[in-house]
Amino acid sequence: MEKYRTAITIGLVGAAITLLFGGWSMILVGTVVGAITGLNYGQHSAKRGALDKAREVLLPALIGNIIMGLGGTLYTFVVVPLTGKSLNYDQPLKLGTGRVPLDSIAVFIIGLAAGIAIGVAVAALIAYLQGLPENVRRVAFIASLIVFLFGLPFFDQVTGLDWIAAIITIQIFILLALGLNIVVGYAGLLDLGYAAFFAIGAYTTGLLSSPQIDIYWNFWLVIWVAAAMAAFAGLVLGAPTLPLRGDYLAIVTLGFGEIIPVVFRNLISVKLVEPFTRICFVGCDPKVDVVRWCIYACQGALDLTAGEKGINPIGRPMIPFTDELLFSSRSYLPWYFLVFGLIVLSIFFIRRLRNSRIGRAWMAIREDELAASQMGIDPVKTKLLAFSMGATFSGFAGAFYGSYISAIFPSVFDFSVSVIILCMVILGGLGNMVGVIIGGILIMGTDRLFLPQIATLLKDFMRHSVLGNVSNPVLKDFLEISVDPNQMRLAIFGLVLVIMMVVRPEGLVPSEERRAELHEGEEEHGDAATEAAA
Amino acid sequence: MLELKDVHTYYGNIHALKGISLNVQKGEIVTLIGSNGAGKTTTLRTIQGLIHARHGSITLEGEELTKIPAHQVTMRGVSQSPEGRLIFPRMTVLENLEMGAFTRKDKDGIKSDLERVFTVFPRLKERIKQTGGTLSGGEQQMLAIGRALMANPRVLLLDEPSMGLAPILVEQIFNIIGELNKQGTTILLVEQNARMALSIAHRGYVLQTGTIRLQGSATNLQEDDEVRKTYLGEH
Repeated sequence: MEKYRTAITIGLVGAAITLLFGGWSMILVGTVVGAITGLNYGQHSAKRGALDKAREVLLPALIGNIIMGLGGTLYTFVVVPLTGKSLNYDQPLKLGTGRVPLDSIAVFIIGLAAGIAIGVAVAALIAYLQGLPENVRRVAFIASLIVFLFGLPFFDQVTGLDWIAAIITIQIFILLALGLNIVVGYAGLLDLGYAAFFAIGAYTTGLLSSPQIDIYWNFWLVIWVAAAMAAFAGLVLGAPTLPLRGDYLAIVTLGFGEIIPVVFRNLISVKLVEPFTRICFVGCDPKVDVVRWCIYACQGALDLTAGEKGINPIGRPMIPFTDELLFSSRSYLPWYFLVFGLIVLSIFFIRRLRNSRIGRAWMAIREDELAASQMGIDPVKTKLLAFSMGATFSGFAGAFYGSYISAIFPSVFDFSVSVIILCMVILGGLGNMVGVIIGGILIMGTDRLFLPQIATLLKDFMRHSVLGNVSNPVLKDFLEISVDPNQMRLAIFGLVLVIMMVVRPEGLVPSEERRAELHEGEEEHGDAATEAAA
Repeated sequence: MLELKDVHTYYGNIHALKGISLNVQKGEIVTLIGSNGAGKTTTLRTIQGLIHARHGSITLEGEELTKIPAHQVTMRGVSQSPEGRLIFPRMTVLENLEMGAFTRKDKDGIKSDLERVFTVFPRLKERIKQTGGTLSGGEQQMLAIGRALMANPRVLLLDEPSMGLAPILVEQIFNIIGELNKQGTTILLVEQNARMALSIAHRGYVLQTGTIRLQGSATNLQEDDEVRKTYLGEH
């Protein structure tokens, strides 16, 4: 029993997800459950051979996946009737051009069978990979990850699971979290205003490719300009904060994060007149102002950001020799692959940075600034670089976001965004990229996929099975309107963070150094014990 | 080689160093002794550039060090094993040592210096993968000295290497310092433990409330009545 505990836990988490989505989700969740089980058992298996490892993982993977399947079963036979979904299933399989109508029982059977089968197969494959030599394993592992990530959107499209919009949002936030990880995780500078750089990237994109001020640059150019602007903003923010440490730095970044959206909200009537020569640079009206020359926008004050209304529409990326409407608001696939590419690029660059002299300088500064400067590290340059490198990646994210949503509003970039990104970094494991990505998937997945689904199911459930039987109008009102997990999302985040910090302060996948620091006492204890034994 | 001329350093309004002049010749161990608050650590911090002197000049082989920031002082060949050690607690022993060579680009030189540090401190080699924070006090001191050596300094500044160590370890550390000097490293040693410091140094300065009270060869200082009374605890 002990042996299968991990598999059962993983299976239960999977079951919780399939309980919400049912049907096709079992295939996806089964794959993930299988992969995690395979990884876990493959690593901890005492057997050395690849085939032995694969054979050993079969049973736990089967158990985990059957438990996962129970969630889907419950969904089909309990959740569906209770929420009053019709038996004519609303998740048609899109094959080729036509849609194959399937009723929920058929979907259930296919999903369950395929989910368990694929799950066990994947578990065996991953466990097999664990037994291969290091270099082969790495390549094979990355290859299978890529296959999975490439297949994901197609699977989503074919089955009509409709997760892709949420997945793209998750990806955007992963990109942001990777950037913030440089500042907070590597250099140890607490930044509470990271959304400001995201906003700067997005607004740069908005201004340079929209009718707002009649500039329509190409997206592939704008994304670099946006990143450069964000990096520059990082320098500007970094400069005054250099002598500050810890709490003081956090407050300055907090202020910066608050200022930037306000600035964008208010740049609706911009005018720049040089007072002595009366040369107007931007936005004066010769009929009203006494000006010698006007250089730009001479018909009156310039509306840069349209305030609360936001900039809209923003230009989209185009690829030569392809359909001009490849990146449209209706097709998610190209967007998925674009942001996927951005993440891969970022991971590549950040890894290089981390292992370079700059990366080591960041870590030394984080550990002990005084000692670092004695090692010959310039603290000024190093901190500025951290801020501006971190900002660069949020510039990419901002450019992508602006173009993807095709509209940007100042309210999108408020403090809660900075906090959520910070939560991803801390939850996943400060300073560890894999951890940060997992943290991002968990937090944004909960926020964009699971909570809305719970909300829908709960609402349907209320309407179909409960409200009819409630006669008290006040209670009825309460049940109809106030039972909404979406409204509780920040409370749920808060709760998760508190639990997390108490149970596992180093994050889900901590970097080696943090683990060492936070569990120092225990290790010393262990040392003492071994020494005593010797 | 290293020369301080009439150096005045302030902490805000507090006049900490009131005109210090001293010099360290190539190949020497020079020690700076004095009681708490005499300005020993301040002198080292001033040389390192962590605080800047308000008057006076600091030169290394004629090169001006007075006004340049700390990280550049390191690049010019002054490295320090600081008071309280200040090792990087979450980095491994090896990473700590590599940080010491941060400013250097000569890979072969770094490698041979790493070997040298491990021959001097075999203990560090045993603990190579352990994080700095988990080392004992004596090992941390060895690590701090080793890290300073990794910069291949022209002058090595040691700030209270005996602090907080058991007497047997103090003796071991001082033997190593003497050994390093015989291998050609120029050392400026700040110590409270005057007896140990004078036993291995060539020359010494006695600091009292920010001024140099006495100076001379280590043997002369050891025989000086005042030094014996105040710093060596003899009657």
